[in-house]
Amino acid sequence: MHRRRIVRSLGSPFVARLFQCRAFHDAREYKEDKRWPGWQVVVGIETHAQIKSRRKLFSHAPNAGPDDAPNTHVVPFDAAFPGTLPRLNPKCVDLGLRTALALNCSINRRSTFDRKHYFYSDLPSGYQITQQYSPLAMNGALQVDVPEAEPITVRIKQIQLEQDTAKSTFDARTQTSRIDLNRAGAGLMEIVSEPDIRSPEEAGAYVRTLQAMLRAMGASDGNMEQGSMRCDVNVSVAPVGAPLGTRCEIKNLNSIKFMMAAITHEAHRQIELLTSLTAASGSEPVQPPPSVPQETRGFDEHSFTTFRLRTKEDAPDYRYMPDPNLGVVHISEDRIAAIRETLPALPQHTRARLLTRYPSARPAGLDVLLAVDSGNAVGWDGEAGGGAVGWFEAVCSGGDGSRDAGIVLNWLTHELLGQLAERNVPFSQNTISTAQFGELIDLVSGKVITGTSGKFLLRHMLAHPSNRPTREVAEELELIALAPSNGGRMSASARLAHTPATSSASSSSPHLPTPQPTATPELHALCAAAVAALPREAAALRAGHTNVLNKLVGHVMRASRGRADALAVRAALEEIICSANS
Amino acid sequence: MNASATRRFSKTLRSRSVSARCEHREIISEKNPSVNAFVNVSPRPASLRKGPLSGLTIAVKDNIATTTLPTTCSSDMLRDFVSPFDATVIRLLQESGADIIGKTNLDEFGMGSLNVNSIHGPVRNPFDPSSTLEGRSAGGSSGGSAAAVAAGMCNAALGTDTGGSVRLPASYCGVFGLKPSYGLISRWGVVSYADSLDCVGILASELNTMQRVFNSVAKYDSMDPTSAPTEIRLSASNFASKVMSSKGTTLNGLRIGIPQEYFPKEVSPDILDRVRGVVTQLKERGATIIPVSLPSTSYALSAYYVLASAEASSNLARYDGVQYGSYVKPGLDTDKTKTAQIYARSRATGFGPEVQKRILLGTYALSADAFDNYFLQAQRIRQVIKDDFNRIFRIPNYFSDSPCHPNEISPTIDVLLHPSAIRTAPLLTESRSNLNSYVQDVLTVPASLAGLPALSVPIPGPLGNVGGGSSHSWPIGISIVGQWGTDDMVLAIGKALEDLNKT
Repeated sequence: MHRRRIVRSLGSPFVARLFQCRAFHDAREYKEDKRWPGWQVVVGIETHAQIKSRRKLFSHAPNAGPDDAPNTHVVPFDAAFPGTLPRLNPKCVDLGLRTALALNCSINRRSTFDRKHYFYSDLPSGYQITQQYSPLAMNGALQVDVPEAEPITVRIKQIQLEQDTAKSTFDARTQTSRIDLNRAGAGLMEIVSEPDIRSPEEAGAYVRTLQAMLRAMGASDGNMEQGSMRCDVNVSVAPVGAPLGTRCEIKNLNSIKFMMAAITHEAHRQIELLTSLTAASGSEPVQPPPSVPQETRGFDEHSFTTFRLRTKEDAPDYRYMPDPNLGVVHISEDRIAAIRETLPALPQHTRARLLTRYPSARPAGLDVLLAVDSGNAVGWDGEAGGGAVGWFEAVCSGGDGSRDAGIVLNWLTHELLGQLAERNVPFSQNTISTAQFGELIDLVSGKVITGTSGKFLLRHMLAHPSNRPTREVAEELELIALAPSNGGRMSASARLAHTPATSSASSSSPHLPTPQPTATPELHALCAAAVAALPREAAALRAGHTNVLNKLVGHVMRASRGRADALAVRAALEEIICSANS
Repeated sequence: MNASATRRFSKTLRSRSVSARCEHREIISEKNPSVNAFVNVSPRPASLRKGPLSGLTIAVKDNIATTTLPTTCSSDMLRDFVSPFDATVIRLLQESGADIIGKTNLDEFGMGSLNVNSIHGPVRNPFDPSSTLEGRSAGGSSGGSAAAVAAGMCNAALGTDTGGSVRLPASYCGVFGLKPSYGLISRWGVVSYADSLDCVGILASELNTMQRVFNSVAKYDSMDPTSAPTEIRLSASNFASKVMSSKGTTLNGLRIGIPQEYFPKEVSPDILDRVRGVVTQLKERGATIIPVSLPSTSYALSAYYVLASAEASSNLARYDGVQYGSYVKPGLDTDKTKTAQIYARSRATGFGPEVQKRILLGTYALSADAFDNYFLQAQRIRQVIKDDFNRIFRIPNYFSDSPCHPNEISPTIDVLLHPSAIRTAPLLTESRSNLNSYVQDVLTVPASLAGLPALSVPIPGPLGNVGGGSSHSWPIGISIVGQWGTDDMVLAIGKALEDLNKT
């Protein structure tokens, strides 16, 4: 049910229509920016997001990851072999539709593909298949929270599906270009905004919000560093109240930081240019007023400046042509309804829901959990991937249903994520099942094992993945607590060094699984052994030097390999010393 | 029709069917040096699968991908190209037990009507081996396939037909040539010239052979996004067989439309005579002849050349000397800051003049300034031509996006009948200078634009009506055009005409 609410809260179609009817400068109230007083900076952004599908947009080649060897994910179609034909991957369309619904777009019932022609070595067929004339979806809107400012609404002009190009790398030593076709033909979604953005900060917030949305939808990893998301920005400036200026497009920005820097530099550059042109024309009113030459520009990541790539005169004629093979993509009402039915929740809605449902979970912990999920909540081809949130909820609802969500969240965010990070394993490849993890928490909560043992057990289970019940592993490792502690939960400072047990050690001592009072004699024996092993410390303690108690406790803890509760050990030791004194 | 001509013609057919039983590879080695139909011949296979095409040798146009033989498209760009995969039609033929005997000559990438634009040299029409003084064109672009069948080098051949490239050479060489309904035979592995028009076609000297080959290759293929789904095929063929079974024989009660626009002044008088003769025979067998009008026909040729060239300019972009073809370094005076210049020299070297001409034409038609007036305009004309056809057929168009219902007032027809070409095979010497080679497609392009099945049936010529001193009269073709998906009906009518010619 909450899904329907999400869609509605993104802005009703009525609002979207309202925006369309108005002239652009009416849509936003002017706010002076100290960096360029008296000027209005207008920005529109084209975002290219790689679609998170298993296979490419028009071929059955699997999509490659950034670490795959070059030219290993290629079929003849991707290399434009003569005689090959495209076949539309319906999963890419579904993920495009998800995005369209999340952006509250109207979906074209009939969309088509077109060929965009240009010669370049990273484009094997000499054309890119895109959607020029009739894109998948149009006229949407995205609500964007801007830090330390009012939220804004950015209208979405259209969403189109298109092919990615191959990757070309220039080897300066051999003076040759190398082409990697792994990326050739991968599905991209181009999301075009209207020029509703007014500052670099708003642009950054827009891209971050879009990124989070795409990840939540499972539509894209949205990873700018790895190139699965790239932005082109259109920037224009005009004096306040004047009509829109001529825009320049800055291509291929691959981080939000660079994008914001590019907009800042471009705004300054255009304002300086217009100011100098106006000054040069003297005091007479100029007809027509000076304008910035329309250009396509690049961004220099070292100097943080933009530079000219080509002017309007050199703009290539892409000779768009309807693709004669792919025909019309018909999107039925049923298909849209099915996509809407399975639309994943947006991050802010998930957070609100979790806060209500699990009052004992700390908000900071939930934020950690949601951050883990970005990009992984949904699997390939939009399949429910479990993700960290789903995993967390499965652990909470498992067992007898009485697990404390706060404790589960702490164990998950502190211990599991920490140990996974140490092992350099992403959460998505975590091998511990929710049942195993839940049982581990139950064992600790029920004092069957100590917290220290729990952490050790987790480490062991991550190193030796299996589907065995946690308790069985704990018994094998002789981690069952020696005595129940009557105190509170073991504090984190009680962590004591212990020798990791090896699984071979377990076979030598068959240990009784019953954890309750029967363990006491063993604990007692261990304490007595410690007293015997450290006669000087024992004497000091007897003489009333209580500070040596910790040393004795530590000895017992080491001997018990973490199975003993520190408070119980302390009590037992005191008992032994006292009884010896009396 | 002249009775002695008929006898002579059927004698030729008989002798050809005798030779068909002989060893085709021997005939190829004997005749190919003069005919130049084959560009590659496969070694005799050690074993073949048993199937409906067992015992048949089938030649394949050299723009259909094969893993065992090169696929050159008669272009310098693909001189040494061997495909890493077999076309779907190749797989289907092999699964049906056919012996794929070799690859046949064609106009470069299928562009041409005379099979003279080829790195392998022109194909020489084998119909009249006695004529040594003159070489005649086999027609194009599937000239090698038509000539191979006509010369008795194979039982059947696959060609491709974009605007008449199977029907025209079939007509010139005196064999059957079928361009099936668009989408019935898979194009996976067929090197694209103009995707929206390209069809794999079949050439054969006997209709039964053609029907067998058609049955084996006309299958839905998920690798071809334009392949017609099975249910649409069934809808169309069920409707057609209902129409056919309501009549006593194939021809009795058949409603044949004669489109008045298909008899322009360019059509030679002797062709008109022979078409009249066939019409008379059909009438005698109980067919109803109905004059019909397809008023948009005159726009078809220009629309065709705009659309086909536009698609060609796009499809041939990959042959750039980097992906395919040899790279030719730009000259020292070249402005290397323009990416296009890096490719220009390779493309100017690797493509022949006809292909370059069409790429330039197509590139212009797609440029921003010309797009509306050329490409879009041609697309509109294409729709008008489709509407023309849909109005006159009794059977609805099941493949169409927006089915057009037949006009209630004017009488509807089952098939159209018209000459396949405006003339008989031209001299090879004539073809080189002939500016009118595009006009030869005028009668074949409308069916291509509309995606309709069209079969060219060979009709024997009268005696002493051939220039250049030949004693034989050259064959012509008569085209039977049906509504989309009625290929079996078209073939059945072709069979009836074949039987008429034999008697």
